Amino acid sequence: MQSPRTGWGLLAPTLIILAITGLLPFLYVVYVGFFDWNPFAATKDMVFAGVNNYRRLVFDNDFLQSLGRTLVFAVCAVASELVLGFLLAQTLTKEFPGKTFFRTVFALPLMVAPIAVGATWRLLTMPGLGPLPYYLDKLFGLNYNIGIFSDQATLTLVLMDIWHWTPFVTLVFLAGLISLPKEPFEQAQVDGANRWQIFRYLTVPMLMPIILTTVFIRMMDALRIVDEAWMLTNGGPGTSTLFIGIHIWRIVFPKTDYGYGSAMSLLVLYLTIVLCWLLFVAITSARQHEVEGMRG
Amino acid sequence: MNDKNNSTKPRQGFLPITTNLFDRVFISVVILVAIHLLWMRFLEALLPLWIATILSLVLAVIILKWG
Amino acid sequence: MRRVPRNIGLTVLWIGVTILTLFPIYWLFVISARSRVELFEPQRLIQTTFFAENYIRPLSDRTFRGYIINSVIIATGNALLVTILAVAATYALSRYRLKGSSNIFFWTITNRMAPPAAFLLPLFLLYARVLKIGDWKMFDTHIGLILLYCVFNLPFAIWLLKSIMDGIPIELDEAARVDGATTRMVLFRIIIPLAAPGIAITAILSWVFAWNEYLFAATLTSVTARTITTGLAEFVTVTGTNWGEMAAVSVIALLPALLFLALVQKYIVIGLTFGAVK
Repeated sequence: MQSPRTGWGLLAPTLIILAITGLLPFLYVVYVGFFDWNPFAATKDMVFAGVNNYRRLVFDNDFLQSLGRTLVFAVCAVASELVLGFLLAQTLTKEFPGKTFFRTVFALPLMVAPIAVGATWRLLTMPGLGPLPYYLDKLFGLNYNIGIFSDQATLTLVLMDIWHWTPFVTLVFLAGLISLPKEPFEQAQVDGANRWQIFRYLTVPMLMPIILTTVFIRMMDALRIVDEAWMLTNGGPGTSTLFIGIHIWRIVFPKTDYGYGSAMSLLVLYLTIVLCWLLFVAITSARQHEVEGMRG
Repeated sequence: MNDKNNSTKPRQGFLPITTNLFDRVFISVVILVAIHLLWMRFLEALLPLWIATILSLVLAVIILKWG
Repeated sequence: MRRVPRNIGLTVLWIGVTILTLFPIYWLFVISARSRVELFEPQRLIQTTFFAENYIRPLSDRTFRGYIINSVIIATGNALLVTILAVAATYALSRYRLKGSSNIFFWTITNRMAPPAAFLLPLFLLYARVLKIGDWKMFDTHIGLILLYCVFNLPFAIWLLKSIMDGIPIELDEAARVDGATTRMVLFRIIIPLAAPGIAITAILSWVFAWNEYLFAATLTSVTARTITTGLAEFVTVTGTNWGEMAAVSVIALLPALLFLALVQKYIVIGLTFGAVK
């Protein structure tokens, strides 16, 4: 084995860059969060404010509502993607003509810039411009306008997220399904289990670690949605799609209320980490159950 | 030395999961922040915030020792 | 041998899925080919004419060309930096017994999970006010964004390359060292050639992710380092009405995705999950 000095030398640039771009902003936001700081206010300097920013934050209904809104959006989108992704992954485990082609094309949305996804869906849903409002009106007499109806705006964003990310869920589930051992399934069929029983008592438990990992990754991504919503609805109509990322951006930057903004950023980070950690614990214990199940 | 080694090793305390020292510190901090935030929202009108601080520090010690 | 292919119903289903997948992007192309007069005909789904002006106008605009050049510089710079750093880091993590290396590995990965919205403000403040040398600030520079994109590209690159490095038998290193090869020779003659496909995938995916990024680019630049994604967003907030050109710019923005798709399709999942699922 070579001297660890060389190893550390090779690792050092990576660690330094991640410390500057990852760790430093974190420490800085913790620091600024305890100050009143607005460079364009009467007092330009940072004034120590203790936990006052947080005191203001827990009573800030706009902020809390925007958190709730983001959570509802993420849960709806991710749940739909899981169901759809699972069904589509099931079909991809079978052989059929054109499978490789379909699978490749299906992955296309994953590579598209989120901001371009937003632009694309805007062109699709703009009244007078996109075919969606036109044909919904022609075929079903439905008045579809995401600039006016907030329910439709939220629903469209969920649909867009499904369009964008179901391929990801599908491909991950497919990889998981392929890696499952065959024997338990054959045995279950011999024993006369029906499809639902096989799904409920075999596929889901065996796939659990992968399902949870997917939920984990997708939730983290869905909760930080900004680009697509920014492009498609710009937070509107009203505040119906003002997700937390856009909220921070819109409230903090024009008002240059840096102390309060830092507190807000940190609280979002805190909630993300807690959620992240809970899911992580769930994944680890699911993995442990799997290992114990195999032993037992 | 021996004692210190024990505390960093994963173990099963009253918490529902197996934790090592880092996990317990992390859980304590998370709970500390949560108590303070909720206190400010619901209880600060009645009781000052430093009670929350003492409460969560006591809780942190309990978690670190027996969690 | 059967004459009718098996599971033909699934093919039909997937034709439907493919149409749903491609339609929004198809519509983007349609709008980008329409003149202002044709624009408001949502009932006409087939486009036969091509209004090149939509593409020529932005491409002949100096500012917008600058955006594209900036995007290319930043994405390429970031992909190069990330690849070089990740090769060195994963070689160290895979071949040296470093104290606490598994913790370091875990820490690098967690960087990816950070919500950008929470880091916008501190990064903006750091870039605009703290990290400066004399008059030079990190704000609105190419190097600022190149470094910043390491936050989300390095973790995934390290994950991807780590498994590839671990897959290269250590006996090859040892045999070379017995023959008197230095670390540099081992790295350049053995490791890099063997890991070349993985390195290429890493570089391509980093490039695409950097090209696609919007939020940080919009916050941390103002004039000189604006990227194509921020240019695209400006169409909505500033001009607002020129949908044909906006579609054309979107098409330009998603070209790399189209070009690289077939090449990296198999690795996207690993890139996005950090191989949590193989």
